[in-house]
Amino acid sequence: MKSAADLQTVVEMTRSIPCAPAILPKLLKLAEGSSSDLGEMEMLINLDTGLATDVLRTANSAYFSSNQRCENISDAILRLGSKVLYRIASSTLTGRWLVHPVRGYGWEPGDLCRHSLCVAICAEIFATKMQIADASTAYTAGLIHDLGKFALAYANFTALDDIANRVPDEFATWREAEKVILGFESTQVTKALLENWGFPSIFVSVGYYYQTPSESPDAERKIVTLIHAAKHVATQLGYGVGVDGFYYEPDEDALKEVGFNEEEMDAAIPEILTTIQRFITPSGEIRFT
Amino acid sequence: MAPSFNPVADHMPSIIVGVADLKISTEPYTYLVTHALGSCLGVTFYDEKRRIGGLLHAMLPSSKIHEGQKIREPMFLDTGIPRLLAALIRAGARKQDIRCKVFGGAQLMATDNFFRIGSKNIDMFYRQSQDMELDVVAWEVSGRVNRSIRLNNQTGDVIVKIPSKPEFIR
Repeated sequence: MKSAADLQTVVEMTRSIPCAPAILPKLLKLAEGSSSDLGEMEMLINLDTGLATDVLRTANSAYFSSNQRCENISDAILRLGSKVLYRIASSTLTGRWLVHPVRGYGWEPGDLCRHSLCVAICAEIFATKMQIADASTAYTAGLIHDLGKFALAYANFTALDDIANRVPDEFATWREAEKVILGFESTQVTKALLENWGFPSIFVSVGYYYQTPSESPDAERKIVTLIHAAKHVATQLGYGVGVDGFYYEPDEDALKEVGFNEEEMDAAIPEILTTIQRFITPSGEIRFT
Repeated sequence: MAPSFNPVADHMPSIIVGVADLKISTEPYTYLVTHALGSCLGVTFYDEKRRIGGLLHAMLPSSKIHEGQKIREPMFLDTGIPRLLAALIRAGARKQDIRCKVFGGAQLMATDNFFRIGSKNIDMFYRQSQDMELDVVAWEVSGRVNRSIRLNNQTGDVIVKIPSKPEFIR
């Protein structure tokens, strides 16, 4: 498969995967809106049994629980607040999609989910420390940054094995190999998926430019660079990193422009790791809520 | 060397070591396992005479970046390696009989200013192994691969797994 038409084929194939995070943009819009949207939010959450269960479980967890148990979604929404709710929704919906067993990239089951969760946590912590993006937006951007790779692996391209066999002898980076062997890049697939699902442009830009943040539009450069930085830190941590992981080029100019420095990033790692370990057990099991 | 099939070893229970953690075992019929080292280092110690093994999964080279704060010692090589050695000796191992192996330290593409944890970890391990006079018998470090390892506590062999590649023994 080499032509541009194959990009469309990959995007089409993903329509058959259950649990796509397609309702996420709608929830995001509601989470940003007024309290009058709560009814609509409740309806949306109730449509998805798994999500409704996660929301209720979190509302009744030791951390959030008061004397009274939340018996329904509308009570849970009031207790958790829209930001926490959105975080649960983004983790649950994206995570469920990403744990489908796929071949390619040398992943073990759940690896892309583990890696994406690490990127999300790194992004959230850097966003808070550096005040360069909204922490919830950064978290979601981290979760969805590589959906295109998942779609490629789901499409079961034998070309992925070809890429793995020819990097690094013939191609210095995974991106170069994708361009020549596939005829397109995984970031293009991510962009097409996110556009299809109606994600806001900021997420589309993250998915499309996170490997080359210097090329991103000025208005979105900070968050794109934030995900670029988070991606590389998460790669060093190792969780869920496949055969492609260490073959991406850091964009030093963009990192410096946004104000990243190595010492501060390294110093944040203990906090990042402690947070990650709340969600991923030593044996690799993922617990989103 | 590719691992040969051994029905006994194949059914051995595993003790999982998380990131920034260390574990030891005095039970030969055991694997000590750690997943996805990335740029971290996995350091194994093994006393072959007494069949006592230990595994450290350290993330960063030096605890000095957190000076004055409470730290998790196994997170850093400078505090984790002495602690692993002390734990083995407490369990009955003798330093002169301990062989050490080191894994991980994967590196991102060349940059002068960012994401150099892999190379810093390898440098720190080298310095520490000299200072502590460790008998390092295997180095499987650097490169652009994410390694998972398991130490066979019967033999001291370490089985290395890399995405998309067959396992091999060091």
